[in-house]
Amino acid sequence: MICVIAMVVFGILGIFSVKYRTIAKESFDCVFRRITLRPCTTGLDERLKGQITGKLMKRSPKIAAFTYKYFEVFSWLFLILLIGSLVYSGISAYNLIAYGNCGGPDPEDFCVFDPSTYSTDEACECTTDKDCTCPESVCKCLDGKCVP
Amino acid sequence: MNFERIRQDFPILNKLVYLDSACMSLKPIQVIEKINEYYKEYPGCGGRGVHSISKKVDEEVFKARKEIQKLFNIKKESQIVFSKNTTESLNLVYNGLNIKGNIITTDKEHNSNLLPVIKLCRERGMKHIIVNSNNCVFDLADFEKKMNKGISLVSMVHTSNLDGSTIPAKEIIKIAHDNNSIVMLDGAQSAPHKEIDLKKLDADLFACSGHKMLGPTGIGMLYGKEEILEKLNPLIVGGETVTNSTYNSYEIEKVPNRFEAGLQHYSGIIGFGEACNYLRKVGMDNIMKQELKVNQIIDDGLRPIGGINILGPEDVRFRPGITSFTYKNKDVHQIALLLDHSKKIMMRSGMHCVHSWFNKHNLKGSVRASLYLYNNEEDAHKLVEGFKHVTKVIG
Repeated sequence: MICVIAMVVFGILGIFSVKYRTIAKESFDCVFRRITLRPCTTGLDERLKGQITGKLMKRSPKIAAFTYKYFEVFSWLFLILLIGSLVYSGISAYNLIAYGNCGGPDPEDFCVFDPSTYSTDEACECTTDKDCTCPESVCKCLDGKCVP
Repeated sequence: MNFERIRQDFPILNKLVYLDSACMSLKPIQVIEKINEYYKEYPGCGGRGVHSISKKVDEEVFKARKEIQKLFNIKKESQIVFSKNTTESLNLVYNGLNIKGNIITTDKEHNSNLLPVIKLCRERGMKHIIVNSNNCVFDLADFEKKMNKGISLVSMVHTSNLDGSTIPAKEIIKIAHDNNSIVMLDGAQSAPHKEIDLKKLDADLFACSGHKMLGPTGIGMLYGKEEILEKLNPLIVGGETVTNSTYNSYEIEKVPNRFEAGLQHYSGIIGFGEACNYLRKVGMDNIMKQELKVNQIIDDGLRPIGGINILGPEDVRFRPGITSFTYKNKDVHQIALLLDHSKKIMMRSGMHCVHSWFNKHNLKGSVRASLYLYNNEEDAHKLVEGFKHVTKVIG
């Protein structure tokens, strides 16, 4: 499953750099083979597994061993996260085009693309955290000012 | 011999542990400088012009041939034919020699010596006979039993790149010559590591590559007895292979020029010569002793690890430069990748172009540590420790 992630990541990177195009092509081939119920013959998944685990071995052999053992599980997890974030990014991008903010019809939602949510200029004066226009998790009211 | 001093000629060793010399050796700075010297000082054509740069190239190429002649104790320098590599040298023989009888090989041939035999046998309808190895050791009795007057060519890997074991070439040559057969040795792995006296050995043909013996890539050689080279048809013809030509005929050059068509890889030849000079100065016996010492540490460290299977003879003396192993049923590429990315240890994994042997033994490949004169005890300890770490990760 790591090939799917690799295909998306290296596919995007490949637009900007030739360096990543070969690996993007390889991962595409791997994904295509998996979709058509054939084993991946490029060895890309195994190579990525070895590289990632090898780097982890330098820091913690235990974490490396755990990662090595459950590599496929991690791959699936990251794939789900990737798909999830791609879906949300798509919805947000649509909202931004359609409504001018990524929150859609309800503009009070936090929007990562909306600069005003980060702006402390408009609500620099505050007495409590709720006076700040940006969410509490992002801004706090400190000494009468909204601080991100 | 101060091998720590030798290591300084290979600056890359400060950054990593290199254990893949059976595939490609590192190059000492002396060889690199000699190659650069050609491009900087006399980057001309050899064998053609009369100007001073061209003459300098001729002189340096001749010196290189002499260096190779000295290293292998060859009677005449004209018995050395330059090629691209061992594979090309072997193919030159298979395609150029009028072989009519059967061919006998070992069961551990590299694809470069196996595939041309299969191809030739398919095309000409001759038989390919294989001598079995007994626990990875060449079975001389089996060879003697299979050897007969119907065999034209005995073509064998001198030292196996799979496990580092060497065949008893002298005995094989004696038996083959008694049966009027020609003997060709694939010396790609033996030439870099052991003293080879081609006069004493009495092999009819011997092929090796420069890149495995401190030389540059793209250069190799074929040694042949004069009478055999005379009978050999060139693989390709062209510039410098003829003394004269008309629109419908040509007069072929003498040996070895007739086999060296077109502009040659001069920097490669000169670099190869310098590499042979370097090896001769260090001494092939010293190299072998150093490799044996380092390999013994690797063997002592790896063998007690449960689940490890070291291929080849148990006694390291019979495979001084190579330790090839499998571990449980684990993927060999994963082991090599983990050693690289965690400890910067460069090793080869896979079937090492000896697919036939691995397929016969139902193995998916091995991890191979192949040593050379620049490897030291510290490298061996790093590999053992590194591999122990890897086993903790992969189970």
